Amino acid sequence: MKTNTERKKSQFVSVASIATELSDVMVVAKEISLAAANAKAIAYRAGEKARGFQPITDFINELARETIGLVNQINEQASELYETTVSEHRHEEANRQFKAVLELGSDAAYVDSLFPIAGRIEDELGEKRHQLKSQVDRLLDQLSEIMHPARAARVIAANSRIEASQAGEFLQSLLTVAESVDKAAELMYTNVQRCRSSMAMMEL
Amino acid sequence: MKRTTLFDSGYQWIVFGRDPNKAENLIDTNQYMIRTANRCLLLDPGGTELFAPMLAAALHYAPVEEITDLFASHQDPDIISSLGLWDQALPEAKLHAPAIWEGFLRHFGCNRIEYVPIEDAGGTIDLGSMELELIPAHYLHSSGNFNVYDPRSKILMSGDIGAAIESHDAPMFVEDFSEHVEKMRYFHQRWMPSNRAKNDWIKRVRKLDVEMLAPQHGRIFKGDDVERFLDWFEALSVGGAVQV
Repeated sequence: MKTNTERKKSQFVSVASIATELSDVMVVAKEISLAAANAKAIAYRAGEKARGFQPITDFINELARETIGLVNQINEQASELYETTVSEHRHEEANRQFKAVLELGSDAAYVDSLFPIAGRIEDELGEKRHQLKSQVDRLLDQLSEIMHPARAARVIAANSRIEASQAGEFLQSLLTVAESVDKAAELMYTNVQRCRSSMAMMEL
Repeated sequence: MKRTTLFDSGYQWIVFGRDPNKAENLIDTNQYMIRTANRCLLLDPGGTELFAPMLAAALHYAPVEEITDLFASHQDPDIISSLGLWDQALPEAKLHAPAIWEGFLRHFGCNRIEYVPIEDAGGTIDLGSMELELIPAHYLHSSGNFNVYDPRSKILMSGDIGAAIESHDAPMFVEDFSEHVEKMRYFHQRWMPSNRAKNDWIKRVRKLDVEMLAPQHGRIFKGDDVERFLDWFEALSVGGAVQV
């Protein structure tokens, strides 16, 4: 059983690690975007031989854009989640301290004046906990959503290999593009999975 | 926490300190309260660890809604790291603190309490039925630092000036000045950086009629011991960590 401090520490670490993982995903998405630009140039030079490859480059580009958009959204939510985590931590500490005041000051003439404030803090703590839980759920949903482009990228990479095989002397260049999309998609998948495991470790 | 009334005539000055439950590795601090008919000011209310005993002690004198003002002489954690908790307890209160520390002190959490910045030249705190003077004490030891002077009770809350490192069961008042000197010497030589600032402060304080000099650590000086302290401090060379 974790102590409250350990639990809180792991919450802060989980939220902070999302930012790190996501910044890696962002790098990967930008790499995919670059691969799309390369593929477009090669396909243009290859002309007829790479006709099937041209629409794929648009897909790759679209995929990269979608990923970057999702990462930005998730980053915003992760930052809101961090603020809520800090606020919940402060309320938890205040709640603990007010309980101590009520105990230490049980014989004080004006101890009753603290009851409404202690009650408010307890209510606010409940609200913060609720808010934290819904933000974590929302973030997990978004992380599931970002897995779709990662999976789609792998399918596109497979299609790219097939189309590359018909591109004659451009085969090697287009295969390299397909490889880089595949590798990027795999990295993205792994990073997002790590994000999700990290979130799942948050004990609320 | 020990509670001692310093002045009681129309309003009260109370000092809280010598907390027997305080952790060994935390420096002992004195917190002060001025209680008027319907308002209270807490001076240097202390660190986070002290919040619960401090508020519990204050509730012997006033309901929480009448604690309307806080004062922080400077930015140190033993002075005001409890701010985030007071911010929860006293959402309508004002914090009077040095203007230059505002952006720093807000790191302790100050969302509801109103931060009233004290400019370098000093100012006043108006508690309705009484007014307190804010005496500049910059660089003693903090670069933005104030004392609180009450002309009626003649109490000067002097922050770290006059401080001594003592055990939690030490008496509240200086009993033998010459014996007390050694408990103050290192603190002043090491924490106070500037002889020029020290002399400026002494000049200001000599113009005031001070009956009690009440520091944030250690014992309170009364009567002739106030003058003895000023003489001793004047003769002391500070900023001792830098060897020229």
